[in-house]
Amino acid sequence: MLKSKTFVKKTRSGGVMKIVREHYLRDDIWCGSEFCVECKQDSTVLQQDACIESNLLSSPHYLIPDTNVVLHQIDILEDPLIRNVIILQTVLQEIRHRSAPVYKRIKDVVHDKEKHFYTFTNEHHRETFIEREQAESANDQNDRAIRVAAKWYSEHLKNAPKAEELKIVLLTNDRANKEKAEESGLVAYKCEEYIKSLIANPELVDRLALTSDDQNEITTSKLLFPEHLPLSRIQAGIKSGSFLQGTFRASRDNYLEATVFVHGEGEESTEVLIQGLQNLNRAVHQDVVAVELLPRDQWVAPSSVVLQDEGPKEDDKEEEAENMLRCEANEAMLKPTGKVVGIIKRNWRPFCGMLSKSQIKEATRHLFTPADRRIPRIRIETRQAAALEGQRIMVAIDGWPKHSRYPNGHFVRNLGSAGDKETETAVLLLEHDVPHQAFSQAVLSFLPKMPWRITEEDMKNRVDLRHLCVCSVDPPGCTDIDDALHCRDLENGNLEVGVHIADVSHFIRPGNALDQEAANRGTTVYLCEKRIDMVPELLSSNLCSLRSNVDRLAFSCIWEMNHNAEILNTRFTKSVINSKASLTYAEAQMRIDDTSMNDDITKSLRGLNKLAKILKKKRIEKGALTLSSPEVRFHIDSETHDPIDLQTKELKETNSMVEEFMLLANISVAQKIYDEFSECALLRKHPAPPPSNYDILNKAANSKGLLIRTDSAKALADSLDEAKVDGFAYFNTLLRILATRCMMQAVYFCSGMDSDFHHYGLASPIYTHFTSPIRRYADIIVHRLLAVAIGADCTYPDLMDKHKQSALCNNLNYRHKMAQYAQRASVAFHTQLFFKNRGILNEDGYILFVRKNAIIILIPKFGLEGTVFFENKDKPSPRLTFNEEAPTLTVEDHTFHMFDKVKVTISLDSSNIQHQKIRMALIEPVIPGVSVALPEGEPEAKKAKLDR
Amino acid sequence: MAGLELLSDQGYRLDGRKPSELRKVQARMGVFAQADGSAYIEQGNTKALAVVYGPHEVRGSRSKTLHDRAVINCQYSMATFSTAERKRRPHGDRKSSEMSLHLKQTFEAAILTQLYPRSQIDIYVKILQSDGGNYSACVNAATLAVIDAGVPMRDYVCACSAGFVEDTPLADLCHTEESGGGTSLALALLPRGGQIALLQMDARLHQDHLDALMEAAMTACRSLSNVLDGVVRQHLQEVSLLTRE
Amino acid sequence: MAVDMRLPTVRKQVADSLLSATAGKHLVVPGDVITSDTGFMRGHGTYMDEDKLTASVAGEVERVNKLICVKPLKTRFNGEVGDVVVGRITEVQQKRWKVETNSRLDSVLLLSSVNLPGGELRRRSAEDELTMRHYLQEGDLISAEVQSVFSDGALSLHTRSLKYGKLGQGVLVQVSPSLVKRQKTHFHNLPCGASVILGNNGFVWLYPTPGQQDEEAGGYYTSMEPVPLADREVISRLRNCLLALAAHKVLLYDTSLLYCYESSLPHQIKDILKPEVMEEIVMETRQRLMDQEG
Repeated sequence: MLKSKTFVKKTRSGGVMKIVREHYLRDDIWCGSEFCVECKQDSTVLQQDACIESNLLSSPHYLIPDTNVVLHQIDILEDPLIRNVIILQTVLQEIRHRSAPVYKRIKDVVHDKEKHFYTFTNEHHRETFIEREQAESANDQNDRAIRVAAKWYSEHLKNAPKAEELKIVLLTNDRANKEKAEESGLVAYKCEEYIKSLIANPELVDRLALTSDDQNEITTSKLLFPEHLPLSRIQAGIKSGSFLQGTFRASRDNYLEATVFVHGEGEESTEVLIQGLQNLNRAVHQDVVAVELLPRDQWVAPSSVVLQDEGPKEDDKEEEAENMLRCEANEAMLKPTGKVVGIIKRNWRPFCGMLSKSQIKEATRHLFTPADRRIPRIRIETRQAAALEGQRIMVAIDGWPKHSRYPNGHFVRNLGSAGDKETETAVLLLEHDVPHQAFSQAVLSFLPKMPWRITEEDMKNRVDLRHLCVCSVDPPGCTDIDDALHCRDLENGNLEVGVHIADVSHFIRPGNALDQEAANRGTTVYLCEKRIDMVPELLSSNLCSLRSNVDRLAFSCIWEMNHNAEILNTRFTKSVINSKASLTYAEAQMRIDDTSMNDDITKSLRGLNKLAKILKKKRIEKGALTLSSPEVRFHIDSETHDPIDLQTKELKETNSMVEEFMLLANISVAQKIYDEFSECALLRKHPAPPPSNYDILNKAANSKGLLIRTDSAKALADSLDEAKVDGFAYFNTLLRILATRCMMQAVYFCSGMDSDFHHYGLASPIYTHFTSPIRRYADIIVHRLLAVAIGADCTYPDLMDKHKQSALCNNLNYRHKMAQYAQRASVAFHTQLFFKNRGILNEDGYILFVRKNAIIILIPKFGLEGTVFFENKDKPSPRLTFNEEAPTLTVEDHTFHMFDKVKVTISLDSSNIQHQKIRMALIEPVIPGVSVALPEGEPEAKKAKLDR
Repeated sequence: MAGLELLSDQGYRLDGRKPSELRKVQARMGVFAQADGSAYIEQGNTKALAVVYGPHEVRGSRSKTLHDRAVINCQYSMATFSTAERKRRPHGDRKSSEMSLHLKQTFEAAILTQLYPRSQIDIYVKILQSDGGNYSACVNAATLAVIDAGVPMRDYVCACSAGFVEDTPLADLCHTEESGGGTSLALALLPRGGQIALLQMDARLHQDHLDALMEAAMTACRSLSNVLDGVVRQHLQEVSLLTRE
Repeated sequence: MAVDMRLPTVRKQVADSLLSATAGKHLVVPGDVITSDTGFMRGHGTYMDEDKLTASVAGEVERVNKLICVKPLKTRFNGEVGDVVVGRITEVQQKRWKVETNSRLDSVLLLSSVNLPGGELRRRSAEDELTMRHYLQEGDLISAEVQSVFSDGALSLHTRSLKYGKLGQGVLVQVSPSLVKRQKTHFHNLPCGASVILGNNGFVWLYPTPGQQDEEAGGYYTSMEPVPLADREVISRLRNCLLALAAHKVLLYDTSLLYCYESSLPHQIKDILKPEVMEEIVMETRQRLMDQEG
């Protein structure tokens, strides 16, 4: 049957268009129930024993939620208990319009076979299609469609045998809708009503999102925040230019401050500063908001104060805090300042954190403190407060009414007790959105069958290089060896150098579940005591890993070089190799240095080392940067998995030898795939940082009377090399650490979507990642591209689609960034564990940055950074004078400069179990009233100070 | 929100069709008395009218005359009211000229032109309402008109568009689907022999998908030819019934 | 002024029962294989596709011994020698006129195939060539007979009889050539007071019945005398009847036209073309024709 759908649409130019669309109604859409005998079903989704124990219903029933229930109570619907739910197409479409994340989640639920969720295409079903009535709003029409579909279901299944008991339950929170449904004889409940009636599962109640009806009780009637403007006015405002649209980014250090990142036309994008609770106006980190600029005379400068929301306090205190922000700021520092007038799109996700239990014992409403400091506290309602205390939990925000100081949310799940290594790891993985579940059966099904051996088929398009003396050099304990090297003399006097990379793309075929999972994970994440693999272990540590003395498939890049390390000829081929040795950096170094050893492997290594040195020299001449960041490695106790010692990473010649050849391979491959696929090569670029990024570095160097030239990478590299202060050997390293922080992030991109390919740090016009396919997905793509380029493999559609490629790059960049953060967080956590066991230590450190009320200190021994505050809430502040220009901070009579050497005590501050942190206190220089004298006596006093 | 969901998880398209289903087709032959042949077709909301004059003496410049076969002259036009926004020029713009050329190529492959040396056959098609698949509607309407005119053809020419969305080939695209991004192709088929009279695709598509997409388009063309066949036979019976002696 | 307006109505479906009456006919559409037997000869409307005789037009299969043709429902005029045609001069060339006769190429009327004033045996001089336009010019209508068919299908006409020649005052109606019934004569003086030339090419010429005196003029004299209103009305009615018959695909010949004319008499001339009236008249005509046959 055919119905046409007619509607009127306004065009961009302001005209009115009438759009007619066809709408076919079908009679072959099945109901999806096991009961039904009428529909010709391919597969049934809804079970016969669809019974959840409930006070309200004793018989089996199917649930039909309306749009708002799905939108707000998605956490409940995701619970494994809730099964046999009919999601109507009307509902699904409305959700798609209103919230992308919820849409994604409900789709995932529908796909989960265990959940027995059925999507009923009601709008195309002949009997459930409804036409819009005169003067009926879209919402009313949707509600009616839902009721009609529910009605149809109950009538339809009434006729089915054995289904007498079955009920169709409409879940809606809309009173009018519920009444109308009951009028037409349907069973309708409010979502809360239904969930509360579930006898066996009271814990679900906690996960109910608060709905607007019952949240007034707790808050004072006073309006705390200005009203948000309606979307229509926001859009009009943005169009007219009176409002700006941007992403809201809360400050990590100061809860009363945030910036809104406004994406301007083309390149220019500006930041708008927002200060004060009223102006922040309930925006949460990562929301897309509309801001209105304040008049110029109200502009302020970003404060360098560190402020944390310490929980509910009196209003005047808050004002006081806000006033503090507005202290002396000179003209030049003023930034465009604005206020949030409306939220365009919320970007809420479930947050990890801990419960701050209410003081009242029986209270069910509690505050939740997220682990991420940029997220405000969330008020939740739970009866399990006692049980949840000291636990890491997840909470989702439901809404933020204008009269409430905090947003309202609901409990999602419990992760485990805080401080527990497993829990903390889970938290940091969740917080950084690292997919870390075990690989699903579907993924594992694509693994090769064991025992695996190389077949004739595999040998097609492959060169047998098993006779070559190939070896791998890696850090100790490495099981995913993805690169191996060889070097030998050719008859014509030249050298042949080969880099052999694990042929992961041979095992991971495009498009299958294994590939999709790897593409989603994007990278292997290395935490201190744990590795979150991108590909299942069988591949990462066995079949792909180029272990010694076994035949392995590889992708080889072979150069012919002369003794000046000039490339005469490059060849790429798929190959089979048999590594003769897996060495650690130290072992390799030993062999090179030991003149008594003269076997093939050692000779090969020496050849490689010689070439690497030349290559490195050339590279540095071209302006490649050698930067520094303090990296540490934990020695982990094999049984308790607690860190027992800390060691800064030591770089050997062999490290740089391997690195040199990897860089060379990457550059060669990048050039090759770009030549072959100018539109869809996956490359990596590192943009040059804008000059303003170097401000801090310049100031720092100036303070020591040095000049750092930053006009080019080469100039920077040279001036960094020259920057030395006598008697301060660590100075150069410190400068390099600072320089590192001035850099931009290197990113993957698709060559068809960008024109700037330059890699600033490596001073290479083109670069990609080829050498670690076991742990990076980008490399797999590059392998595939290269394989196509040399005709060893066939292409597939997505590989050649620059838009899909570019979307993949975005994911990879995101995953890489998150993996880095997770790694750092893991190091931080282990540092804490380390200090927990150590007690209090006194160490030397250097001032890295100077802030308005604090200094940031780096302890080279541990590669640890910490902040020493000079202000305390309950202690009179010392006289502080901050000089922005130098920058220096004068505390009482002592002036702190950057790079000053200081002595501090280090201890673990576990007063706040959620944010355990390393506490540093100054010992030297001695400033009365600021520095501490006796490290041993200090902890008690400080703890007392911190308790509120 | 990022566009419309062209294919739902349940496998229904925006208008409720399955990927391989065609829109509703309605057609009539012999709608005008003056022309030698004429036909009208509706494929969903796409409506096209085709008129055939000829074969007749070559009009205009004599130089066009071919001594071994007939000249086929096609003109494609769109009514100004056929699209959501009013069109300025009904014909003569680049797109129309291209379409005219495509039609010409299509019918040169199908009509037995060698039977009519030194003459000309005019095929005029007009889109009255446009909702995707204009080319296909034109070809199908013109086929009926040519048959109505009694001009000999090898076979029907049936055309259908097909698009590629989320790795699924969709047959007979409507306007929303056509403009929703993704690749689409138009295929004109002589269904009985399976010869392709015209295949046109402007966007990029990976080679691996091409077979699937063409298969979908060909299947669609075949089902369309069944519909047209029904229309022609019905018309044939009706007319021969009236003229029986 | 009252305007007669009508909205489009639903097209009448021919009942399936009626359609089954055509079951005896062998109807084919382009691409249909008629026979894969190689013993037959390929006629019009067919082609050989890999040794299979295949239809190229939609229509009825006709077999004459070993020859198989498909006769399309309607087509342009395929002239045969002896056919009477009505045509219009489109071009004057050297020694010949081009005549549009609804066939696939313009027909040719050679100067040598016309009767010029002054008797049948007059020699054609060079002067005659120069004054061709004087006899027949572009746009003139003529009646003629097919003299021969050229190899490319074009027709050669002649007017070597006094009944052919230039047409004067009258009305031209164009119908499908297949609707004109082949008869011994295509010139009829109808008893209702008008004459008709039913050209085989589907061009029908209605004109007032000429008086005796016109015959002398050799066919090139055009009477400019006003035609009396009564004659004009008869001609108009005949024209509408012709259209009505054509619309219902009734074969045209003197009897069918006459019966139709008679059936239409109760209606006003302008009403004849109204669908319902048209249907009624045609029904009646058919009935009478069947009665006469049966």
